[in-house]
Amino acid sequence: MAILEAKHISKTYTLGNRELKVLDGLSLSVENGEFLVITGSSGSGKTTLLTLLSGLDHPTTGNVILDSQDITHATEEELAPLRNRYIGFVFQSFHLVPSMTALENIMFPAELLGNPDAAEHARELLKSVQLEQRADNLPSQLSGGEKQRVALCRAMINRPKLLFADEPTGNLDSENGKAILSQLIDLKSRQGATLILVTHNPDISRAADRVLTINDGQWAA
Amino acid sequence: MKQGGVHILFLIRQLMRSSNQALVFILCVILSIGSITAFSGFSQNVNRVLLKDARKIHAADIIIRSASEISSGLSRAINRLVLDGRVEKTRYYRFYSVVRTSEEDKSVLSDVKIVEKGYPFYGEVVLKSGRLFHDVLIPGSVVVAQSLLDRLDAKIGDSLKVGFTTLTIQDVVVSEPDRPVELFSIGPRIFVADGDREALGLIKKGSRIRYMTLLKVLHTEKVEEKTNEIADGLIKTQDPGIESVDTFQTARSRIKRFLDNFLFFLKLVGFFILMIAGFGIQGTLTAFLNEKKNTIAIFKTVGATNRYITIHFMLIVFILGMIGIILGFFTGFLMQHGLAMMLDTFLPENLAISLSWAGILEGVFLGLCVISLFAFIPMYRIKDTKPIMILRKEKTKPPQKWPLYLSGVLSLAFFSGLVFWHMKDFRLGIYFIAEISGLILVSFLFATLLLFILKRLHIRSLPLRLAVKSMFRPNSATRPIIITLTASLCVIFTIFLIEENLDAAFIESYPEDAPNMFFVNIQKNQVEGFSKTLDRKVSFYPVVRARVASINGKIIDVQKERKQKRDNFGRMFNLTYREDLLETEKLIEGKSLFRSDWEDIQVSILDMVLDMRKMSVGDYIEFKIQGVPLKARISSIRAQKRETLSPFFYFVFQNKALKEAPQTIFTAIKAEPGQIASIQNQVVAKFPNISVIDVSQTAKVFSKMMKQLSKVVRFFSILSIAAGILILVSTIFATRVERIIEAVYYKILGAGKKFVFMVFALENLLIGLLSGLLALIMAQVTSYLITRFGFELSYQPFLLSCFFMILITLMTVVIIGVIASRSILNKKPITFLKEQPDV
Repeated sequence: MAILEAKHISKTYTLGNRELKVLDGLSLSVENGEFLVITGSSGSGKTTLLTLLSGLDHPTTGNVILDSQDITHATEEELAPLRNRYIGFVFQSFHLVPSMTALENIMFPAELLGNPDAAEHARELLKSVQLEQRADNLPSQLSGGEKQRVALCRAMINRPKLLFADEPTGNLDSENGKAILSQLIDLKSRQGATLILVTHNPDISRAADRVLTINDGQWAA
Repeated sequence: MKQGGVHILFLIRQLMRSSNQALVFILCVILSIGSITAFSGFSQNVNRVLLKDARKIHAADIIIRSASEISSGLSRAINRLVLDGRVEKTRYYRFYSVVRTSEEDKSVLSDVKIVEKGYPFYGEVVLKSGRLFHDVLIPGSVVVAQSLLDRLDAKIGDSLKVGFTTLTIQDVVVSEPDRPVELFSIGPRIFVADGDREALGLIKKGSRIRYMTLLKVLHTEKVEEKTNEIADGLIKTQDPGIESVDTFQTARSRIKRFLDNFLFFLKLVGFFILMIAGFGIQGTLTAFLNEKKNTIAIFKTVGATNRYITIHFMLIVFILGMIGIILGFFTGFLMQHGLAMMLDTFLPENLAISLSWAGILEGVFLGLCVISLFAFIPMYRIKDTKPIMILRKEKTKPPQKWPLYLSGVLSLAFFSGLVFWHMKDFRLGIYFIAEISGLILVSFLFATLLLFILKRLHIRSLPLRLAVKSMFRPNSATRPIIITLTASLCVIFTIFLIEENLDAAFIESYPEDAPNMFFVNIQKNQVEGFSKTLDRKVSFYPVVRARVASINGKIIDVQKERKQKRDNFGRMFNLTYREDLLETEKLIEGKSLFRSDWEDIQVSILDMVLDMRKMSVGDYIEFKIQGVPLKARISSIRAQKRETLSPFFYFVFQNKALKEAPQTIFTAIKAEPGQIASIQNQVVAKFPNISVIDVSQTAKVFSKMMKQLSKVVRFFSILSIAAGILILVSTIFATRVERIIEAVYYKILGAGKKFVFMVFALENLLIGLLSGLLALIMAQVTSYLITRFGFELSYQPFLLSCFFMILITLMTVVIIGVIASRSILNKKPITFLKEQPDV
């Protein structure tokens, strides 16, 4: 059963007097539990596609249906609980809250959900990525790899159905990158989540169930 | 989905992390609450003391004032009360007279008080010797102020000529209960026993004497109630045009009137600071939330709702606001003490500064309202931060305008309500609000224009060009800073320029041709002898003291008139009579001073009378001259041709109308400064009843007082500049990252620390310069208009002083800007790049 569907979605940006069409009539269906990689060259529209699929942005035309819910025109108030409960994000630039410790960053989505055991779950996740000793460190005190592992844990704490990762190893060295990818896939498997990952790294693509390539806003042949 | 409660740690972290912005926000709140509670609280404390000690301050329970002997009806009523044993009565007479040494070689204008036994009923007159006042003040004796001894070079035991008699100085008065009620006395105090009243020969019909009757209520229970009852009974018998009956609670002493007016003005300054600081609150909060945009976007990405985020930031604002309010109270309390010290000459001795619960509650309510109003827009804009901005900083659609309009309308309504509530004068309130709105609007328009021009200038100098670019960086708030600084500086510069012009006109450069000696209380039969004594040609002006009883049949409510802050019909007027216009006058309505075709008694009025009530030629005014009514028809309206210190009269009658009325004569001469003392001695030796006023000396006394008052005003006006500075500082913090990026790029590309410093310094210099120049131009225009058309004086721009004021402004803005930026200047590029991989 498809957990995520995109039907003929397009995205056009207006820059001054110009209109820039980044995506052009893409359709997509993702099965529950699938590991999908979307790849393409720089500027091909992969990150834009990810933002549309995850509800961070709205398509200019077309529809996005997430777990049978059409989120195309959903308001921020309607999307917030979806993001909190069903979606996890891992970004290239980590985007941890600078004023929160590693543990607090991970706990936060669970606290929003009203989970009384948020701290315990967060510690478990930290342990699973071998970072329990860094629980009280601020992001500025962590290495890139450590930051990304914390971001990973934050994405997983509410056991989301969908995980979106945008170039999660983009800012890491190859060793850390491999470690992150491994932990990402491991967590995904354990929680039975669906993972949609954007990358231009061919090594990552090899681990996926399916790889789709974007070229100039459309699926490559 | 319910989002889990309040995240206390989140609140604490946000506060700790943005401690600089939090501090600036708190300072803005302190400034706004501190200033309004200082002025409002001080006013309440002063009024409380004046009321609490009113018995002592007025020396009685009931005070009856009159410009002549009290009417027979009132006198009978008082005597009945005395006979019934309900009150005790005493009287005193107060007037100015020139007293001189027995050798007639020195004289001084003095504030004479002839007192009966029994004065004062409350409080005491303290003598230097420690003896009892009425043991010392027996007929033949005087008790004087130390300053009289100093000025006449006299000592205790010396003789003093007062009026037509000679008395012996027996002691020195250290304090009396009703000073500073008797404020603005232009001469030292002399107490004379009532037994010498006749011998003095100074109390005559037409003389300017204040007749005071004091009553002490002898009931032992419910004294205040009985006092009011007795006073109400006496009021029914008073002649309202001539005498006034007040209790110690209702009597408006001169000091109370003065303080009411002065504190009223300070309250206006307080409102202005409150408003400017309010903009500071909005500015710092906007800057604070701008810093948090990334954090807010991340929260939304992980599912936090707008409501959740808004509630948390509202709590932060509330916590910071309460800290600011509490500290604001404390600051306001300290400022009250400061005010008490600066105004000590004018205040009752036992003034105690305290905070009442009502005052605290009012302050908290006010503080929360101000914070809510100015926090509304920044908090509302939280919803405009979308999660997508962490990935892409695209241009979002322009924010909705309606919250801005709503906020503007609510703020205007709040401030208007506050002004009307405190001022209790609708017309003045409207003027004030209109003036402040105008000031801000003009500042806004000029600031926008100047920035528009600046942005389009082609600048060759690289650091200057970069500095100009920096002024227009996103979130820079350059325009609000300039508007705030301009408005604040304009107020200060205007006060300074008006004060300097008044000083120049009256004090420092006393007009060459203006008279500097005034002679009052000349009796009709003394005119010839007086002229011979002066040995020069002088113009004599007859003076008839009167009240305005009604205008066109509408009776003047004296009590209501006196409540007004401007000149009004609640006071006595000096009428005069002549047949011709003075050369300093011109007619603005009516063909001649008086009309030959009218049978009525006619009066020509000065245009200043129209400021009190609209009138025109043909209207009727009824006067009361020592209780005797006189109805006159307005025959013409005059105006003065130019500013002059020559005598002028509001009401001029024909000779036949007032020639036989009780009157004194007044004249003024221009004497050489070195001759003033000897002329005074000669005149008073021959005519002891004539009061001689050395105007230049008097002007110096007032100048000293004005300088003391204006120091207070300027000090508190500087607080409004502090609000502008706070906005400047908060903007620097808000644009910290952008400034760091700029500094890092400059350094990476080869610029040294000096270059970077110069760019930042130039940016602040430009802000200071634009604000200062704009403020100066506006202040010059405003001061010119007020001086030329309000005071009708010639105007000087005082350019050198203005130059220094601009220089001080520039230095302040540059120094503060550079201090706030110093950590940015010292940032190493590599450190920054490691911290910010996203950039």
